[in-house]
Amino acid sequence: MPEVKPLYLPLPAKIEDIIIENSQVKTFVLSFTDREYGRLFTFEPGQFMMLSVLHHGEAPISIASSPAQSGTLRLSVRRAGKLTTALLELEKGAVVGLRGPYGKAFAMREFAHKDLLFVAGGIGLAPLRSVIESCLTERERYGEITILFGSRTPSDLAFRQDIDNWRRQPGVRCMLTVDQGEPGWQENIGLVTTLFDEARISPAHTALVCGPPLMIRAVLAELSRRGLRDENIITTMERHMKCGVGVCRHCHLDDKLVCVDGPVFNLAQLRDMEVMELS
Amino acid sequence: MNDDKLLLKKDYLTAFLRQLNKDYRLIVPQKNRHGDTLFSPAVDIDSLRLDLANQPQNSIKQFMLPQREVLFTYESGSGGDYRFHAAGSPDEPTIYFGVRPCDLSALLYMDVIFLHDAADPHYLQKREHSVIIGLNCKQPFEKCFCNATGNGPFLEFGADLQFTDLGDCFLVEPGRAKGEEIIRKWPQFFSPAADEDINRQYQSFLEAKDGFSRLVHVDQAVKRLRDGEVAEAVWQDLSLRCQDCGGCAYVCPTCTCFTISDYPLNDSEGERVRTWDACTFAGFTALAGGHNPVNHKQAAIRQRFMHKLKFDVEKHGRPSCVGCGRCVDICFGGTDIVRFINKACEGI
Repeated sequence: MPEVKPLYLPLPAKIEDIIIENSQVKTFVLSFTDREYGRLFTFEPGQFMMLSVLHHGEAPISIASSPAQSGTLRLSVRRAGKLTTALLELEKGAVVGLRGPYGKAFAMREFAHKDLLFVAGGIGLAPLRSVIESCLTERERYGEITILFGSRTPSDLAFRQDIDNWRRQPGVRCMLTVDQGEPGWQENIGLVTTLFDEARISPAHTALVCGPPLMIRAVLAELSRRGLRDENIITTMERHMKCGVGVCRHCHLDDKLVCVDGPVFNLAQLRDMEVMELS
Repeated sequence: MNDDKLLLKKDYLTAFLRQLNKDYRLIVPQKNRHGDTLFSPAVDIDSLRLDLANQPQNSIKQFMLPQREVLFTYESGSGGDYRFHAAGSPDEPTIYFGVRPCDLSALLYMDVIFLHDAADPHYLQKREHSVIIGLNCKQPFEKCFCNATGNGPFLEFGADLQFTDLGDCFLVEPGRAKGEEIIRKWPQFFSPAADEDINRQYQSFLEAKDGFSRLVHVDQAVKRLRDGEVAEAVWQDLSLRCQDCGGCAYVCPTCTCFTISDYPLNDSEGERVRTWDACTFAGFTALAGGHNPVNHKQAAIRQRFMHKLKFDVEKHGRPSCVGCGRCVDICFGGTDIVRFINKACEGI
């Protein structure tokens, strides 16, 4: 275990590499400047970090890499507000602050020997990428892997390197869709749910869903209609956060706090709450 | 015999406080030159305008969780370095004198939130250095309803020393080790209490218990919220009337929501600051980019009352409203907790 660091204290982490995913999204490969801390640092897929950018405070960012990738951490960030705009201007070698990991992770143990369905929209693929990459390091532990990924347009398609890589893996299917096509686009056009028939979704699937609220609502409803059990429909909730440790309450979601009770929730849990994404 | 119960004559109070002030920072309710009663540090005991007759307008929350608190300073070096340094030095030992049962209960609640749930070092530092001298309420104030929230007007636990006003003297009950230490240190101020004094305390309790001028159905509201029987219109009506001022959260001794922001001092240095926040503010839940998962117009006050009267009951076994009534005075939108409870209980 790493030495216990004071609550709220960010530690410096260097930007080792930057992958430009699209005009609005970059993936930052980070390593703690304290190498010993970085070596002992562990997390689980689904957890998030509080990221500091000079003079811009902090924001919660999902970890996009697999815990098996020791020494570095990947955070994929979409331009949304001041902090992310400042972050996207940083170059390789710059230093940011990190504290974490926080939040409840995906229950990877329950996924063993299951056929897994990943449904993502845009930047929502980031936390799922952590799970997918983890599954691929222990490929024999899991059943078939189906990845359905939606973007607005072909130019917005992020995580291209990853998609190319996944498509080369045995027992992995990766299907893409966009809201609006462009010349040369050969894949699906339409909501991500329009891929469901071809993806042969069965009630035996365990589905992991992450994306914008409207997409989550449509996907959860359709998966439910196709007979997946609520416990096997798993998603992550996005909320404003300040502390990350269950005190400041900015991320309240009915009687829960997303930072400590989530961000991972299954549909059974969400149905017990009043959740904007479902209403 | 009442071995552990003592008396402190009121004539000795000033001398007692003077002694305390030598070894501790002393926070007491005192009248300022505008006539407001506020918990504030005692500077000079001889010119102290101690006010134990009125309810302090603030609670001791502001000392444990300051309205503005620098958590870190940060700096960015020329080599691209970016470091945070914990701010502030250890607090000096502080005695809070005259803490009423409502504010004492609120402090115990803050302990759960900041120490049990999160181990917040900034809170811990101040709490570890605190000694609480409680004061039971012999006469409830006009807006009080701690009888309905179940934590007053007398409290038997939580303080380091608990005082009860018996007229010419205080009955003093040690609660925790830090309180016993004070008695050991300055035994000259105390004399043993007799059975008769305990009886006087009980009489005072009975009178206080019957002295509430308002009846607030906290239990009924808790039950209705639990059973999902509060109409949607109640939330909407009150949310529309809420003026988004945050006054209720600021005066509330159990409202502990906060935000954390950076304040640059120059290009390369700045402070990371924690400040009070309120769940009733429209921006409280807004995400970067503007999307807000809470429909503010219809639900501005929902989280506030659900948290205090439902979620905390489920999580901690009791509501986190302590019945101090401060928000009733402060709210000009007519959406304070008592009005919510009354609306929620309509038709009963």
